Amino acid sequence: MPGSWSVELVRVGAVLPSVLRDLREDLSRRLAHAVWISPREIDPAVAFDGRRQQYLATTLLQELLDIPIQEGVRRIGIAQVDLFLPVFTHVFGAAQLGGPTGIMSLHRLRPEFEGDRPDPVRTQQRVLKEVMHELGHTLGLVHCKVPWCAMGASRLPEQVDLKDAAFCEPCSLKIGVPSVGDQI
Amino acid sequence: MSSRAPSLMIVDDELHVRESLASWFTEDGYEVVTASSGKEALAILGRRHIDVVITDIKMPGMDGLELQRHIRNVDPDVVIILVTAYASVSTAVQALKEGAYDYLVKPFDPEELSHVVEKACEKIRLKEENVALKQRIAGISPEIVEGQSREMRRVLELVDSVAPTDTTVMVRGESGTGKELIARLIHAKSPRAFGPLVAVNCGALSEGVLESELFGHEKGSFTGATSRRKGKLELADGGTLFLDEIGEIPPKVQVELLRALEDHTITRVGGVQEIPVDFRVVCATNRDLEEAVREGTFRQDLYYRINVFQIDIPPLRERREDIMPIAEHFLKKFAAAMGRRVTGFSPEARELLMQYDWPGNVRELANAVERALVVCHEGEIKPEFLPIRPQGSASEPEPDDLSLQAVERRHILKVLELEDFNITHAAKRLGIDRVTLYNKMRKYGIERR
Repeated sequence: MPGSWSVELVRVGAVLPSVLRDLREDLSRRLAHAVWISPREIDPAVAFDGRRQQYLATTLLQELLDIPIQEGVRRIGIAQVDLFLPVFTHVFGAAQLGGPTGIMSLHRLRPEFEGDRPDPVRTQQRVLKEVMHELGHTLGLVHCKVPWCAMGASRLPEQVDLKDAAFCEPCSLKIGVPSVGDQI
Repeated sequence: MSSRAPSLMIVDDELHVRESLASWFTEDGYEVVTASSGKEALAILGRRHIDVVITDIKMPGMDGLELQRHIRNVDPDVVIILVTAYASVSTAVQALKEGAYDYLVKPFDPEELSHVVEKACEKIRLKEENVALKQRIAGISPEIVEGQSREMRRVLELVDSVAPTDTTVMVRGESGTGKELIARLIHAKSPRAFGPLVAVNCGALSEGVLESELFGHEKGSFTGATSRRKGKLELADGGTLFLDEIGEIPPKVQVELLRALEDHTITRVGGVQEIPVDFRVVCATNRDLEEAVREGTFRQDLYYRINVFQIDIPPLRERREDIMPIAEHFLKKFAAAMGRRVTGFSPEARELLMQYDWPGNVRELANAVERALVVCHEGEIKPEFLPIRPQGSASEPEPDDLSLQAVERRHILKVLELEDFNITHAAKRLGIDRVTLYNKMRKYGIERR
């Protein structure tokens, strides 16, 4: 993805506004690209699958795409519902590889989902990492083998904890953001 | 596959399934293609290589099981993962019986699907590694087996039967017959192939150096031992130890080697700690060890310890049908390396190669071909390019001349050729001093080469 891009965060359903505000701050600091919160919101009900009691991620991606979008904007939906793709039991998020939209959900990232005590700080860290991950996909990045890179594949919340909220140097160079070394 | 992204084909009649899986695996760095039917999948497989096929079972027209059968006919190495939305034990059993790698039920847990595909790719990588190892083995064997004589086939049968075991092997043969190649072949075909092969030439080192070379030493154990050093026996741990010219080991080292072979432990020179070692031993010698035992220069107990399984490599002159295939093999090998456009050997050169006795065996033959290629750039290799002369020519005694002088001349020449005209070594083998050897060479008109 060429140098000029910005990030638009879109609230999908009942997500606390503070989650988006914290994300905007964290992302602005780490990416050195413009990050803003969209005044538009999306109702996830349209993607609800009664049989699975989950929300179809591709429908929500389409909803995000249906809102007029400016050249260079990467739009990431932040949801709190359980997302799925038809062939998968669940997904943490989904994105168009090299396309303008992505979506992620807090649902399975909260420690309480697996029976642990609520931990808002850990949840926020996981959300930040997964937003960066989906954003990376929209900017054309595929999964990275560097263990701590935000583009590492995570199938479990614990695997998200092992990553940094930063891109490794090769991934950073590809999308034009400061690498972790530059941030220190 | 190790140096490229694994290729996946998703076969499903439902567009959203193809798209979901394709985007999932593309994000994982796989190279992904999709097909909406079995027929389309086979068409793709006809055009390009695919590592893993993930196919739905229930599809209109050709179903997943039928597709699997067709793929097996086209490319049996493709890993096939069958998926279905309708779990059925009998279908799963049938799929696995017919060679499917795994069977998954939709919807998949992303963790499980990724795990299955990663394991499938690991299986492919291991298979490719195995093929590479076999090719490495094949790369060793041509120089030994090119001839396919009955004698060498027998040697290779013995290698095949002993290689998978941990039995100590004694390889015997004249200089240049390829004893080390046989040792390498035994190692490469053994379960220790992924471990080290450590070779020691016992004849090239003095007693003190050999002891330190074999067993290692501790810092300060002797002058010059400025640091701790592992010996060859320790370095061979998990692999094979090849002891070349074992007949030359001095008596003191023989005792220590015997102890190491019996106890599977070693103690470094200057050290006190016993270090466990696990290696397989292959020895080689061109000496008559039984004679050495009788003379008392080689310990009988060590002889019995190492002479468990014996492989005798016959000299080249006793398997003349191997000469031309081996010569042709080296011709191809060296011509390619040196960029020569040589078409082969002329009939006269062939006759010379076949007639010559090759006292230096395969090594001498290889050297002769290499030297010929230095001077011959293209066309046929003629006799004058070869560094050998017809035996029984006018300047030499007739082969049927059995006078003592003729026999002595032939014997001296043979030993000189065996030792590559190294006067010191040849004199030692003949049991005479260098001056006497020079005098005899002058007397019989033998010139240094």
